[in-house]
Amino acid sequence: MKRSQLAPAAACLIFGACLSGCAPVAPWERGNLAKPQMALDVNPMLSTLRSHNYSSREAASGGSSAAGGGCGCY
Amino acid sequence: MAAIKKKKTLESSAGRLLVSACRRLTGVIKPRISKQQAAASASSPLHALTAAALALPGLMMTPAQAADEEAGFQYGHYQEGKRQLFGIKSRFKPIEVESLQGSGKIKLADRVRFAFNYIQDTWGGATPIATAPLSFQGNRENGVIAGATPFLQNNNVYFDAQLNPLQRNNAANTFSKDPQLVHTLSSASPETRKQGDFKLSYEWDEAALDVGGGISLENDYESRFGNLGGRWDFNQKLTTLNLGLSYTASDTQAIIDHDAAPYIYDTTSGTASYNAMYDSQIEILPGGKRVLHGKRQDWAAHFGLTQILNRNALFETGAGYTRSTGYMANPYKAVETAFIDPAQTPGPSGELTGLAIGLLEQRPDARNQWTGDLRYVQHIDGLDAALHFDYRFFHDDWGINAHTFAADWVQPLGNGWTVTPRVRYYSQDAASFYQPYLVSQQAFSKLVVDASGRPILVEADNPNNGKTYFRDQNFNLVDENGNRVDEVAVNPINKTVPFDRKLLPAHYSSDQRLSGYGALSGGVTISKQFTKGVSLEAGAEYYTHEGSLKLGGGGEGSYADFNYYVVNAALKVDLAALALAGAGHDEHSGHGGHNDHSRHSGHGPAGVMFDHMLSRSGDFMVGYRYMYGNQHGAMLHGSDAAGDMDIVNNGCPNSNGCFLASSGMAMHMHMLDLMYAPTDWLNLMLMPQFVDMDMSMRKLDGAPQPTTPAEEAAIPHHVLHEHNTGGIGDTGVYALIKLFDAPGHHVHTALGISAPTGDVGIKFRDTHGLEGGFMHYDMQLGSGTWDFKPSITYTGQKNRWSWGAQISGVKRLENRNKSGFAFGDIFQSTAWGGYDLLNWLTASVRGVYTVKGSVKGEFNGTFNKLGPMDYSTSYGGRYWDVGFGLNAFVPRGDLGGNRLSFEWLQPVNDDVNGYQLPREGALSATWSYAF
Repeated sequence: MKRSQLAPAAACLIFGACLSGCAPVAPWERGNLAKPQMALDVNPMLSTLRSHNYSSREAASGGSSAAGGGCGCY
Repeated sequence: MAAIKKKKTLESSAGRLLVSACRRLTGVIKPRISKQQAAASASSPLHALTAAALALPGLMMTPAQAADEEAGFQYGHYQEGKRQLFGIKSRFKPIEVESLQGSGKIKLADRVRFAFNYIQDTWGGATPIATAPLSFQGNRENGVIAGATPFLQNNNVYFDAQLNPLQRNNAANTFSKDPQLVHTLSSASPETRKQGDFKLSYEWDEAALDVGGGISLENDYESRFGNLGGRWDFNQKLTTLNLGLSYTASDTQAIIDHDAAPYIYDTTSGTASYNAMYDSQIEILPGGKRVLHGKRQDWAAHFGLTQILNRNALFETGAGYTRSTGYMANPYKAVETAFIDPAQTPGPSGELTGLAIGLLEQRPDARNQWTGDLRYVQHIDGLDAALHFDYRFFHDDWGINAHTFAADWVQPLGNGWTVTPRVRYYSQDAASFYQPYLVSQQAFSKLVVDASGRPILVEADNPNNGKTYFRDQNFNLVDENGNRVDEVAVNPINKTVPFDRKLLPAHYSSDQRLSGYGALSGGVTISKQFTKGVSLEAGAEYYTHEGSLKLGGGGEGSYADFNYYVVNAALKVDLAALALAGAGHDEHSGHGGHNDHSRHSGHGPAGVMFDHMLSRSGDFMVGYRYMYGNQHGAMLHGSDAAGDMDIVNNGCPNSNGCFLASSGMAMHMHMLDLMYAPTDWLNLMLMPQFVDMDMSMRKLDGAPQPTTPAEEAAIPHHVLHEHNTGGIGDTGVYALIKLFDAPGHHVHTALGISAPTGDVGIKFRDTHGLEGGFMHYDMQLGSGTWDFKPSITYTGQKNRWSWGAQISGVKRLENRNKSGFAFGDIFQSTAWGGYDLLNWLTASVRGVYTVKGSVKGEFNGTFNKLGPMDYSTSYGGRYWDVGFGLNAFVPRGDLGGNRLSFEWLQPVNDDVNGYQLPREGALSATWSYAF
C-alpha cells in the first residue's frame, strides 16, 4: 500500500516541478491543439519514407522512437 | 480516505496544478475509482465542466493521435544524382529506389486497435563500394564495354617518401603528387526488400499499451523485430509520457559473387586466409560460391514526455538508447589498402611502389547509441498554420556526434488544401575508424623460406596438404627428403605468407555514411482532403550531402558530395469519417439502405475486374486490389512436360542450344481502384499499379558449353542469384458504361486505355566488364505499349444466388515499345456463380479461359539469350482455370460499407507456346469501399 502511494507522489514532485511553468489549458481551449496540423507527426507515412531514406544515407539512424526495422541498405 | 483528506488540505495551501496532476496520476492506476471520486469531489463548477468536456470525443484527443481507423497507400521514388568521377565516364546509372507502402488501422473492439503496415523497396543502380586516390584508377575502362567499371585488386600504385599518392605519367615515366580522392562505383542488379509489421494497442481513458512486431526480408538480409510501448496521459491530458522498448535480430547472408570478389581479396585461398585473420565469416560452398554470414542484435529504449504548454503550443522531448552488437559492417563495401614494402629500394624518381587490395571493411562488434530529441509545435493564429521545429542530438561510441534540425510549416489553404514546406539540416562527425583508404607499411605477401634460406614450394592445386618441395642446385624439384619428384604432377608454386593483419588498424571503413559531412534538404508537400475522409497527397524533397556543410568544418572532401531527390504520392482514407458519411447517405436515400443496395449491385469474384458499377451519380469508390501469381515446377512444351534435352535442343531457336531455364517465378501486383460516377450510366475509373517480380534459374542438364565471354559470365550469375524487379506498373484509365439494367439483370461495358508507365528497360548489372543486357521480357514492369482494354460484363441475381459472365481483351496499340518488343494480345472469357452463405458472406465458383499471344519483336539492345524465357516464341498460350472465391461485406457498424474478397485461381490446363513453366495458381484479394 505504502509503495503504491509513494511512487505517484514522487512522480508528482518531479513532474510538478517541470510543469509549474506551464499555463493550465482547459479542455475547451484545446481546439487549436486538436487540429491535424498540430499533430506531433502530421504525416506518419511520409515520415516513415523519409526516415528510411535518411537512415540509409546517415550514421545517426533510429533513436527517435524504439521500433526496429529492416535494413534496405542500398 | 486518509489520502483524500490529505489532498484537501493540500489543495488549500499548495498549487492547484500539482494536485490535479496527482489526482490524474492516481486515476490512471485505478481508473474506475477515480471517476467516482472525481464525480464525488467535483466541488467546483470548473471541475464539473472539466469532467464533462473531457468526455467529448473531439476534446479527448491528445494532439499526437491520428484518425481512429484509416487506410493509406504511398508511393515514393528516390533518385540519386551522378557522382563526381573527375572526367571518368562511368557506365553506371546512379541508384534509384521505388517504394510502396500500404498501411491500415482498425478498431477491433471498443478499446482495441490493430495497425499494420507493409513496405516494399526495390532498388538498382550504382553506389560507391570504396574510395581511393584518383591515381589508383579505381574506375577504369576494363573489358569489352564502354565506360569505367570498378578495379580495386592487385593494383600497382605509387607513393612518395611521405606516403602521398603519386600519379604516374606513363609516357614520360614521371610522377607527380596527386592527393585527389575518388569513389569507386559499382552497380547491382535490382533487389527488393519487403517489410510487414503490426501493432496491437489497448487504450484506457488515460493510457495505452501497445505491442508490435514485424519482419523485413531481403535476399541477403533478414530482420525480425518486436516492440512494446506505453502511453500515459495525466494532468488532464496536458502531459503524456511515452516509453518504448524494442528488440531486433538481423542476419546477413551476403553472396560474395565472382563479380564482387575481385575487390574483396579474391581467390579461394585469399578468402581462406582472410577467414583465418578474421572470425570465420565467409563460408565457401561447393562450386566456389562464397557466403558471408553475420548476426546482429539491437536493443533500443526510448522515453518521451509530451507537454501542452498553452492553447497554441506543445512540445515533446525524449531520450533514447540503443545497443547494437554483432556484425554491423556492410558486406559489399571494401577499404582500398595499399601495401608498401618498407624494404624496397625506391625507384629512379624516389617513388615507392605498392600493391593495392580491396579489403572487406571491419567495424567494431558493439555500438552504444544515445539520442536526445526535442519537438516543438506552435499554432500561428492569424494563418491557422502550425510551425513544427525538431532537433535531435545523436552520440555513439564510434565517435559520431550528429545534430539534426528540421522545420515544417503546415499551412491549410481552405477547401481541404494544405501545403507544407520543410527544411532540414543534418551534420555528423566521422567515425573514429573511418578512413577513405589505408596505407600499410608491409609487403602484401612474402616468400617463405626454410631454415637454410631456401624458398619453400607447395602444390598449386593443394597448397595446404602439408607437403613441401624445394629446388636443388640443378633447379630440379625435390621433396623434403631430397628425392626428385615429377614437376608436372606437383605443379609447384612458391609458398607465401600474407600480410600481418595486426599491422592494420583494428577497425576500418571507408563507407561514406561514416564520414564527416553535413546535409541540407528542403521540400514541399501538398495535400487535398476531399469530403468523406479521402485525401490525396504529393510531395518532393531535394537533399544535398556535402563535406563542407559539416558543423564546425573539417568534413570529407568535395569528391564525396552527392545529392538525391524523393517524390512521393499518397492516398489516405479515414474509415471512421467514411462510415459517418455513409450513415448520412442512408438516411437521405430513404430505402433499404445504400449499403444493402451496393451489396447487391452485382459484385463478381475477387479476380474479376470491372465487375460492377456505382449506381448513383456522385458516388465514389476507393479500393485496393492485390494479385499474386506463381509459376513453378517442370517445364512445359504445349501441355506436356519437357525434358532438359528437349529444351536444350529446341527451346532456343537459331542458337547452339539453351543453357538455362527458369525454375520459378512469382509476381505480386498492387493496384488502387479509384472510381467515380458522374452520372448513373457512366463510371470513370483510374487504376495505378505497382508490381514486383522475382525469378530463379537453373542450369539445364546437357546444356552446351558457353562460347562467348558474355555467356560464360552471365550463366553462373543467373544461377547464383534470384532476380528481382519492382516498381510502378502500367496505369489504366477506364470508362464503364451501363448498357442494360433491369431487376436481377445488369449489363455494362468497360472501355479503357493502359498507359505505359511501367519500366521496360530493366537490365542486369554488368559482370566481368561485360554488359548484362536486358532482363527477361516477363520481368519488365509493364507492357511498354499503349494498350486498349475493352470488356463487357453481365451480372444477375435472384434471392441468395448470383451469377455473371465477362468477355475481356487487351489489344496492343503499338507493334513495339521503346525497348523493341510488344507483348501479345490477350482474350479472356469467364463465367461464375455465387451463393450467399450468410447475409454478409458469398461463396463463388468460376471458370476462366484465356488466350495470350506470343511476344512480337525483340529487345533492341544487348541481350544475352540463355534460355527459352529470352525467346519471344516461348510466351503466351491457352489456359483454363477454375476459381474459388469468398466475398465478405460489412453491412453496418463502424466498418459498414467495407467489402473484402478473396479468390484462388487453380490452373486446370496449360497449353503454352514454346517452353514455359507451368502456373501453380493465382490469388486475388480486394478491399473496396463505396460512398
